[in-house]
Parts: sequence; structure tokens; C-alpha cells
Amino acid sequence: MSVHIGDWLDERIGWRNVWEAIFLRKIPKVNWFYTLGSATLFVAVLQGITGILLTIYYVPTPDHAYDSVVFITTQVPGGWFIRGVHHWGASAMVILAVLHMVRVIMSGSYKYPREVTWFTGVGLLLAVMGFGFTGYLLPWDQKAYWATIVGTRIAGVAPLIGDPILRIMRGGEELSAVTLARFFGAHIWVLPATLLLFLGFHMYLVIRLGISAVPRKEE
Amino acid sequence: MNEKERQEYLEQYKKEKEKGVPFFPDIIFKDAVVSLVIFIALVALAYFVGAPLEPRADPADTNYTPRPEWYFLFLFQLLKYFPGSLEVIGVFIIPSVAVILLLALPLIDRSPKRYFLRRPMILGATILSVIGVLFLTIQSSREIPLPPELVGGDQTAVLYTENCAPCHGPSITVPVGVNLHEIIAQSRHEGMPAWSGDLTSDEIDALAGFIISPAGSQLFTDNCSECHQVAELVASDPVALKKSIQLGMEFAPHAEVEIPDWNKSISQEDQTKLLNFLVAPDGQRLFATNCAPCHGQSVAFAGGEEQVLDTISQGGLHLEMPPWREMLSENELDLLARYVTDPGSVPEGEETFQANCANCHGSRIPSSEDVEAARQIIAEGGAHDTMPVWGDVLTPEQLDALVTFTIAAAEGTSVEIGQELYSQSCVSCHGEFGEGGPNPSRAGDIIFPISTAEYLKTRDDFTIRAIIAQGQPNYGMSPFGSAFGGPLDDEEIDAVVAYIRSWEANPPVELPPEVVIDVEQNVVLDTKQIYDQLCSQCHGLNGEGGIGPAFENLQFQATRTDTQLYNAINIGHDATSMIGWGDVLSADQIQQMIQIIRRFRPSPVSGQPTTAAVSFSSDVMPIFQAECVACHGNFGGWDASSYTSVLGTGDHAPMIIPGDPENSFLAQKMIGTQSIGEIMPPAGLLPEDEIQVILDWIEAGALDN
Repeated sequence: MSVHIGDWLDERIGWRNVWEAIFLRKIPKVNWFYTLGSATLFVAVLQGITGILLTIYYVPTPDHAYDSVVFITTQVPGGWFIRGVHHWGASAMVILAVLHMVRVIMSGSYKYPREVTWFTGVGLLLAVMGFGFTGYLLPWDQKAYWATIVGTRIAGVAPLIGDPILRIMRGGEELSAVTLARFFGAHIWVLPATLLLFLGFHMYLVIRLGISAVPRKEE
Repeated sequence: MNEKERQEYLEQYKKEKEKGVPFFPDIIFKDAVVSLVIFIALVALAYFVGAPLEPRADPADTNYTPRPEWYFLFLFQLLKYFPGSLEVIGVFIIPSVAVILLLALPLIDRSPKRYFLRRPMILGATILSVIGVLFLTIQSSREIPLPPELVGGDQTAVLYTENCAPCHGPSITVPVGVNLHEIIAQSRHEGMPAWSGDLTSDEIDALAGFIISPAGSQLFTDNCSECHQVAELVASDPVALKKSIQLGMEFAPHAEVEIPDWNKSISQEDQTKLLNFLVAPDGQRLFATNCAPCHGQSVAFAGGEEQVLDTISQGGLHLEMPPWREMLSENELDLLARYVTDPGSVPEGEETFQANCANCHGSRIPSSEDVEAARQIIAEGGAHDTMPVWGDVLTPEQLDALVTFTIAAAEGTSVEIGQELYSQSCVSCHGEFGEGGPNPSRAGDIIFPISTAEYLKTRDDFTIRAIIAQGQPNYGMSPFGSAFGGPLDDEEIDAVVAYIRSWEANPPVELPPEVVIDVEQNVVLDTKQIYDQLCSQCHGLNGEGGIGPAFENLQFQATRTDTQLYNAINIGHDATSMIGWGDVLSADQIQQMIQIIRRFRPSPVSGQPTTAAVSFSSDVMPIFQAECVACHGNFGGWDASSYTSVLGTGDHAPMIIPGDPENSFLAQKMIGTQSIGEIMPPAGLLPEDEIQVILDWIEAGALDN
């Protein structure tokens, strides 16, 4: 029966080619360090799912943000757990992305022909930092507020462009409802879109070029 | 990598791939295992630790210590190593360069070598970066301030740890002469709160001292804190502080206390540190404490740094005055001496002063306490001690700070030009201190004060500039800008704005607006209230003095007649910052004010004025003689006729427990709280003040004095 459905679908969408190209392709034998990339991807997906769940109850205004987070934590069934996973996932994301990068440097995988994969990887790392930065204003608690004051001010120190950047980030001179809306927008629309774009390209290149082999001593 | 190497690599990779494994299931399996482990870890963290949530954001809470998420801590820490104008390096240049280098890695390292040991440069750089980031992160989390109890007895260190360390780390480096008090009080940059709301001025002074000389704070704690609070000594008179350390027990206030010889126990270097802490080398504060009483807000001056340093450190010796007795008659000398002592009493002296003295002394008349001394100085001339020899008093750091500030203040000429222009064009309507008053161009209208903090805070420079340039025709103010037909060009208006703005940092002698307006409307204010609001700013709430002389000083009281006081209040004293109040206070109010001034007496050190003053023989005994002895002394029981019998006799002896009036039977009998017998005397309570005298006497220890 399942074979039947498989054939029926394959005839129409050609999934077997994709399956063969992605999953049945042969790959050099690698060690456990080479799992860090897919681990990062896994956490990214997890962050996406928990994040989407959180937006169901979260309200991005200074009046309600804190209360809605309290509501998620205390009232919504399993809300505290989803928020916990999302919170720790953020740290895991940063750690895994950095470890993955160190692995790539150590194995020289950024070299020919994978230079572009590396560029997109750096883009992904910056996006992850962006997620981290925009994410912690959202609960609108003391840490969120003051750390963002300090964080945005740091950005404002850059010569020439500093002041405009500061204003764009804050949506004005001061930290306000506009800032929260902007950070929320960046966190759930702009950054995920950027991430998907880079991620898609990154994955395409990884599959196209194949994962790099563990270099031999004389290599 | 050349073409050949590329081909070699591709072929090699092809071989590896053929020897390899299929992505599914081999690799997927490994990935799944790792992902599962991570998932379990996250679930465990979420379940057992949870996501923290701090109290709701409170923009008004200046005590909160902002700390970023851990993965930004290294960046946060990096900033601490680049203070002030270097900030841009830590914030922008280093991170930008790092990101660019990271991005360009494949373009930088283009060799065909892949094994990590064959790429020592990349390996080294990576390890260094990782260690660097780890180090900064750890360093930052270690610098989370210590809880106050760990810091020990150093109160200022606690203050610093609680308020400054969270952002600034364990210490702050500041350049010489920086206006630290003002920076702390008013905040310099965004994110830093203005502390004047949360900390007292003394605390801010202490913090400034601590930042510049933390060791001094520790020395204070070790040597002085047993007797002194920081607040009591900080930013006080450096002359007295220096003396107190150098003279030890010979310093008058220390005469009665057992103190070590600090010249031996505290090294010269440490003494400097201690003085630097107590009187922070903060030019603006030093100037305000030491120079402003004579020099006002700044010294007009055009020499170099060396010259200022010489002048300040050598003090009055720079003034070489001719012996005037060779040039002036005896009468003229007398006149001048009386004029400088009390300009109001001999208005005709002004002419002589202008002719002979104003060239050097300017309009500021050297103030003198008594006519004889003044006469002698004028007659003999020479290098008299007009200015203290600050070089003996201040530490090198303090001198440097003072020099830097003096020069900076002198350069702030726009303020001075502005002041000049203000006094020409604005004073007639807005008053010398921007206090306003009746509107000369519209009867019955009041011009509101423009020097209040509120006014200045709510108008930006642009607004004030526009008001000056275009005037306020609706309120009878004509345009002053040359573009609108007025006398001032743009630069001059800027200078006036700068002067007006300077009131914010340096409030003019403030006439509270309500007083001015009330007086206009003939509302009679309680004179004491006027004293507390106005006079006390310079003379102290208890007449203890400050910028102005101390009224509690008995010598002051003895050497001033009521007439002199009346004149001083009415027309002011040109030699000092005392202004004339005749326009504000009525003659009656001035008379009442003199009565208030006459009432000030030195407050004893204990702070309990009446208690200390009570004497047994002259205060207590007469009461006993008059009220008690008739019975108690002739009819047995308690005997009130002598000190020993007062304490030693009585059916319920002791009648008096020294120091404890509440439980002394005598006191209970007098005020009616006794448990046995009748109230004494049987006729009823003694007059309240007599009871008080006896209570105070018991309180003070029931001494035989």
C-alpha cells in the first residue's frame, strides 16, 4: 500500500530523485564533530516551533508584554516549559553555532570549493546573535529593559552611522513602545526570513558540494 | 591554490566519497543521536531551571545593574578597557575588524593545506580568539560586584560598589582636572543616571574622592572613621584638613583626643592619598570651595598653565603692593581702611579706592575684619597674605586639577561675555539673577523668573535664542537680534544663552521666585522663614556660617553694632558676595532679622545646647533654695540644701539617678509620675522651664558643677 502511494506521489512530484540526491548520496566517513552543523539546525527548528507557540500569547507592547509573559509562564498549560526550552535553546544555538564554526576552521572546510558556504555560515552566525539581542527585550523585565538601553547605546557609539543606527534601533531617542515593536518585528519576521534565506543557501551548498572529509595528516 | 591543486583535491574527495557511507542512515543516525542528547539537555534545563523573569521593567529604577545575556558579556567587558573617547575602538573598530576577518577567512587562507597542525597561523589565531572571548566572559562575570558586607568598613567603597561598579567595574580612570562631582551629579552620557537625585552631595563628593584615590578611602577608614563620618570631612576646608594631619594633637579640635602622630604612622605618600580622597582633585569643586569665595565663578586670566600653577601654589606672595603711607595722607589711609572694612559706612571712600586700588584689586574690595589691620596693610604694602599659599596646602594632584579647571573656566569666555551683555541688556527687566519682577512695559504684569531650574530645563537653547532674537512683543519684550533690528548679533546672543544656561550648573544666588512676587504683593513673610530660605544659604541654618560669616561666633556678635548689621543687610557688602536686601525686605523685616541674628550662639559639640549649659550651683541650686529648702532641709526626709544631701538623703534615696531623669524619683515627683506620695511641691507643678533645668541637669549626669 505504502509503496503504492509512494509511486503515485513520485509520478507527480518526483520525490524519489530528491530523496536519492539528499539522503542516499555517499559521504566521506566523518567523526562526531561533524554533527555540530545538523545539531545547530535542529535547535534552530526547535526555536522556530517554540517561538511560534510563544507568539500565540505574547503581546508586544510595553503595557502587556510583561503580563503576557507572566501569563504564559503561569496560566498557559505547558507555557512555562515552552518558554524554558526557547530560553535555553537560544544559548544552545549560540554555543552550537560557534562550536560548528570552530570545527570548520579546524578541518579547513572553508577552503576550496566551500568558500561561499563559509560566507553564508558567517551570515548565519550574525543572524543568531541578532536573534539573541532582539529576543531578550521582549519579556520587558528589568534585565530586558536595561540591557537593551546599554546594548543600543553601544551601537550608537559607532562613528557617523552610530546615531542613525541608534535611532533606527530605538525608533526614536528613547527606549519606548516603538522599540519593543521593532525588536519584536525583527525577532519574528526580519531575522527568521534572513535566517531561512542564508540557511537554504547554506544547505543547498552543503548538499551540492558534499560534507568535507576529515583531512589526513599530510593534507 | 592553483588549478592543479584544485583538481587533485576534487579527485581525492571523490575517492573519499566512494569509500564513505551513505548519508541515510549512517550520518543521519549520528546527527539524530546528538540532536536527541541536546534536546534532552534543553528539556531538562527548561524543566529544572526554567526561564528566569525579573521584575517588570522600571525606567525610573536607577539602581538596577544592567547586564547583558552571557553571550554578549565578552563584548560588554571589552568596552571597559576603552574608556571615554577610546570607546569607539572597543565598540566599533574591534568588532568590525573581527567580523570582516572572519568573513574573509577563505580569502586570507588560500593555501591547499587542510590538516590543522599544518596551518599554525590559523590554529594560533583561533585558539587566541577563543581564549580571549572566554577570558573576557569570565572576567566580566567575576566583576559582578561584591556584596557590600564583603568590602569591610569602607563605607565609600560600599557606595561605589553598589552604585558605580556595576557599569564601571572595580575602578575608573579619570583625567586630571575632570569635573567629577558634576559628572556624577548630572550624568554625562545616556544610560548613566543623574545621581543627584539618589545621593547626597556629600556622598557624591566621597565617590569622586574614592574614584580618584581609592587608597585614601581605605586610609580614612583605618585612621579617621572611628571619630569621623565621611560626609563630615569630605570636600571641606583643605587648610584645616592638612593642619589636622600635620599638627596631630596640637590641632585645636584634636587637643582632647588621644591620637597617634600621623606624621609617623602615615607616610607622606599616604597622607597625599588621604587628602586626595577627602578633597577630591576635582577642579570645579576645589575652585568652588577654595577660590570662589573671593574670585567668584572664574578668574579672568590669560597666562599659561605654568603661570597659574605658580600663582596658585605661591599664594598671596605674588601680590607686591606699594607702601601707601608714602603716597597717601593719614586721612586717606584711615578712609581706605574704614572703606575696605565696611564700604557702606564711608561711601566717600569709593573715590579714593577707585583712584588708588582698583587698578590691581578691580571692583572687588579686599575684605578686612578690623580697621587697624586693614590700615596697617595699606600703609606698609608689600607681599601681604592676600591669598593662601595653596602650594603648602593642596596635594600635587589637587593643584593640577585646580590649574586645569581655572584655565578651562577662564576660557569659557562666552559665559563672561554673555554675563556682560546680560547685565547691559537684560538686567533691567529680568533682574541680576534672572529673578524677574514687575514688567516695566506693562503695568501690573510680573515677569517670571528665568533662572529657575524648571524654566531652564523646559527651554532648549534654540527656544531661548529665538526669544532673545525675536523678542516677545505680546509681553512687551522687544527683539534683541540684529536681524530683527535689535542690538545683538548671533554670536552675542549665543553668549547670552550660554550665560543663562550657566545658571543651570551654577545657580545664581537664588531668590526664590515666590518670595519676590509675594513681596511685590505686600504679603508679609515670617522673618525667620526668610532667614531659613535665603540667609541660611550662606550663613547656615544655625548661623554656623559658610560663604558668609558665622553669626554664632561671639566675636562677630561683639564687634558688630546693630547699625552695621542693618547696613550690611540693607545695602550689602561690596567686598563679599553679600548683596543688598533693601529692595526685597522692608525696614521692619531687617530689624527683625537683626534680632534673629543676635540670637545665634555657638552650639556646643555635644549637640544638646541646654543640657551642657546647666550648672548645679548657678542653675539648679537656686531653684531648690527657692522652692524646696523651706521644707526639705528643716523637716527631715530629703534634704535639698547641698549637693551631697540632694543626692544622698531621702526616705526613698537615691532621689536622683544621674543620667536617667525618667527613673529619678525627684523628677517623677516634680512632673507627677511618682508611685508614692503627692506631687511636689504640694502647691502644684513648678514652672516648666525650672523643671526642664532640673531634668537637663539630671540628664547631664547630675554633676556638682
